[in-house]
Amino acid sequence: MMNPILTFLVVLIGLYGLSTSKNIIKSVFCVTITEAGVILLFLNLGNFEGGSVPIFLEGLAEIVDPLPQALMITTIVIGSTVTALALMLCIKIFHHFGTVEWEEVLRDRGDL
Amino acid sequence: MIEITAYALQVLLIIIAIAIVVHKNNGTIIILITSFSLVTASLYVINNAPDVAIAEVAIGSAIIPLIYVISISRQREFIVLDRARDDFLKRAFDKEGIGYRLLRDFSEYYKLELNITDDPELCSYDPNKDQVLCEKTNVDLIIQKDERTGEYLLKGKDSSILMHKLEELASEYEDIRVVRFKDGDFGD
Amino acid sequence: MVILVIKNGLLIALLLVLLGAFYFSVQDLELMYNTFAKNYYLENGFYQTYARNLVTGIYLDYRLFDSIFEAGILLIAVSGILWISKQDIEKHNVHFMLDKFKTPDLFVMFARIVYPLMLVFGFYVIVNGHISPGGGFQGGAIVATAILILYYIDPNKETDPTFIVSIEKIVFLLIIGFATISIVTKGTMFTNPFTVDNIEVQSIYLLLMNILIGVKVALGLWTIFTAFLKEGR
Repeated sequence: MMNPILTFLVVLIGLYGLSTSKNIIKSVFCVTITEAGVILLFLNLGNFEGGSVPIFLEGLAEIVDPLPQALMITTIVIGSTVTALALMLCIKIFHHFGTVEWEEVLRDRGDL
Repeated sequence: MIEITAYALQVLLIIIAIAIVVHKNNGTIIILITSFSLVTASLYVINNAPDVAIAEVAIGSAIIPLIYVISISRQREFIVLDRARDDFLKRAFDKEGIGYRLLRDFSEYYKLELNITDDPELCSYDPNKDQVLCEKTNVDLIIQKDERTGEYLLKGKDSSILMHKLEELASEYEDIRVVRFKDGDFGD
Repeated sequence: MVILVIKNGLLIALLLVLLGAFYFSVQDLELMYNTFAKNYYLENGFYQTYARNLVTGIYLDYRLFDSIFEAGILLIAVSGILWISKQDIEKHNVHFMLDKFKTPDLFVMFARIVYPLMLVFGFYVIVNGHISPGGGFQGGAIVATAILILYYIDPNKETDPTFIVSIEKIVFLLIIGFATISIVTKGTMFTNPFTVDNIEVQSIYLLLMNILIGVKVALGLWTIFTAFLKEGR
């Protein structure tokens, strides 16, 4: 039903935004977008027409594969926790350096 | 019928993703993130996965936008501790203190919010240990009046880029001096 | 300026090459389909784990090892957030100028109605995890959102986050303890310890593990809120 190429386009847009973002917080946004696209791709591989929801009833003919769904639940919860840790580091970077742009921080440390 | 809905939702997802990458104001992007989470939850239901949809709605509707709002609003503050307690920072309508005008121009130019405090417990902290105070409570600037020479000291961290710019601005005034002290390693 | 345009152009060209590679690999996807695992879960899933929801049967019986490590990652991330955001001036909320505001009365009245309903719904989703869609992770997130409403009403509410993290560590050790009991009765670790062929007795294990995982996720997310709201104050 779904087209996997349109979903892969969401992943590529997330990667493009991650490489060319000047603000620190926008990079964290783009990681979230990429992750949502990858989860959609995994769920699309297990789905086919005519299958039903994986809950067992007597006399059921065909179900959708339940294994990718169990793995993607943990992916969503872990993704949100890692986002929270990254944002706490961003707050500390602002208090230490006083700016929210990547280039000024790198220039101040002498890396650029 | 379901096929048309699935294609329309996917095109909507691509449009929202492009809008997130292009926008520059961080406040608009938070609302776009919430609508992105809602559209992906509908796509999960169309793919016959109700458990994953409940998890995405529970996390992406209240927890994620809250931590984004808090971290964006903390990144716009400039905290000033006032130890001098006289007219230097007076905020009356007709006569404003020199220091208040300087800080207000500075914070308007760099789009920060000024947050002045004169809490008695922080003021009575030991003046020799200002470095420890700056690290513990995220205070950016301490204003103190020197007794002997009568000029005002503005103390701040050395690694902050804002202090360089404040030093350039304050070099035009005579009785204001900017002192910078180095602080230790990050995070300890 | 010209260098910037060339760099952006090269980036877009690389991403289009990736898109072309993905398009060619999707054509032959039907050769890779394998329905052995799906038929095994359909025939034997209910009779071996006694859980109607097959996804719950997978992450609580067939693959319990993954769920234990996922709970471990939650604990490590929460401890990291607590260590980075120091709140060293203990038990004294320093009042800054812009923090003095009051939530509107209409909001407080609606929050009083919504808060018990959300708690009950969260517990319903946790307890019915093995019959209908739901489970430990989802219900834990709903209960954490319900506790968040209390923070909206009164921003100066004081909770000690280190106490909540120590309760979470005890719950994590309880999860590992209940998972390894089955080495005594069945001979293999990380599975259902009961051997009676009755559906009510076997469901006790699923219910217990769902409740413990739900409580752990809710406490972890509650600590994250507290650390963000009280950071540096």
